[in-house]
Amino acid sequence: MAAPMADDAALAARLAARDAQALREVIARHAGALNRIAYRMVGDAHEAEDIVQEACLRLWDHSARLAQRHPAGTPAGAALRLSGWLKRVVTNLAFDRLRAGRRISGEEVPERADDAPLADASIETEQRDASTRALVLALPERQRAAIVLTYYEELPNAEAAEAMDMNIKAFESLLHRARASLRQAFAAQGEAQ
Amino acid sequence: MSPADHDDGAPIAPGSPLARALDGYGVPELPAGFADKVLAATATRPAPLPELRRTGSTGTARGWRLGRRIAIGVVGFSALATAAAATGLLERVGLPVPSAGKVWASITGNEPASKPAEAAAAVAAVPVDPAPAALAPVRIEGPIDTPEELGEAFRRIDEVRTRRSELRRQMLDQRITREKERRAAAGLPLPTPEEETRIRQRLEEARLRREGGLSERIEARREELRGRVESGEALTREDIVRPIREEQRSLQQRQKLERLRRMSPEQRREAVRQLPPEERRALMEAWQQRRAQRLGREAPAGASPLEAAPQIAPEGSAEPEPSRSGTTPAEPPR
Repeated sequence: MAAPMADDAALAARLAARDAQALREVIARHAGALNRIAYRMVGDAHEAEDIVQEACLRLWDHSARLAQRHPAGTPAGAALRLSGWLKRVVTNLAFDRLRAGRRISGEEVPERADDAPLADASIETEQRDASTRALVLALPERQRAAIVLTYYEELPNAEAAEAMDMNIKAFESLLHRARASLRQAFAAQGEAQ
Repeated sequence: MSPADHDDGAPIAPGSPLARALDGYGVPELPAGFADKVLAATATRPAPLPELRRTGSTGTARGWRLGRRIAIGVVGFSALATAAAATGLLERVGLPVPSAGKVWASITGNEPASKPAEAAAAVAAVPVDPAPAALAPVRIEGPIDTPEELGEAFRRIDEVRTRRSELRRQMLDQRITREKERRAAAGLPLPTPEEETRIRQRLEEARLRREGGLSERIEARREELRGRVESGEALTREDIVRPIREEQRSLQQRQKLERLRRMSPEQRREAVRQLPPEERRALMEAWQQRRAQRLGREAPAGASPLEAAPQIAPEGSAEPEPSRSGTTPAEPPR
């Protein structure tokens, strides 16, 4: 893991020098994970894409400052983790979007446009996906983020707490409540079916 | 927290029904041209705004800011202190402000010729005369053993006394002025010039009376010291200072006795009872001594003053005689 950390500082320096290729590398390395987090938070592919794009552009804007604070070849540079920085930005952007519009809620789970041919199997899969999305999206936004970061992205609690700007104890408490809520919602869903 | 709740918050086990349900939440891929789209957006993106807050937790900028604040603080404090000294505020709250001459003298080591508070004590203690030659042609070297040296010592003591007396007069004037200002500010009637003159006269008379008695005692002591010097005795600091201290103690004791005399018998008994034992004993002895002296003067020749002194004062007498046990006559015997 030491090599990628050193790479991050060098990457930040290249971004600060307005190296477009460096941004491509960042996108190739991190955009997938960022998209997963964003999508599972907001439940909409277009919104998620906007969030990831905004996060990458913010990295582009802040690269000079990051490179100044974390010069390559120094301990501060070795401590720089672009993935953590980007995940924090994506999480906060997702919160902002959810709070601004309240477009997504448990009661109004958006359905994706169904462009696949009608078939019993695909209908069944779609219904299962929708129920799972409803399960996750029904959680309060911070609990949802805790589940997305630890369960789906398999981040350690400390990193997930950092991505959410929380201390570890508060995050663990939040995660505990999130799992309990998820289990209760899942049990309720099963009973309803 | 119930056991059920605890289970609800436990990690989601892989392969469990909940995990299988969650795993079904698929995520669509980003579009193929996503990177190009982002790169294109960087070209049209406006430059980021400068930071609103200064980040300088490190670096030279912080040092400059800190230095500037310290400099402003020092200059501000100096300005306030100068203003307070110039307006006399510091002297009013009891902080002495030395003059520029004194400060310069302390720096250069040339102490000023007169130090009112220490001059009297320094007369015999300092073997080398610190006074300028013009003011003190006679030098005091070692113990005082010549009439000239003794005269010079008395002259310096008188100088200090005069200065102190002048200082007291100035303070009195200031207090009268302040009191008049206070009364004027409070809307109280001010004394007429005649009344003020009368008050000042009374104060002056009291001062003269006090200083007159003191001068007599001082002159008597000086006569005694002159006699000792003329008989060839060398005087030291203790010879001059101790009688003054004893005189002060005696004066304080007389003042206490005077205060006691003015009290009613009940108040006097209570006041004597509340004194510490040593002080009560000393006061009692002084009382008996004074009474014995007075009665001795009045008693026929040959009678002992102590024998002549009555042990119990008559009822209603202004001067009750404390018993030998240290209690006043009205107290029950212990």
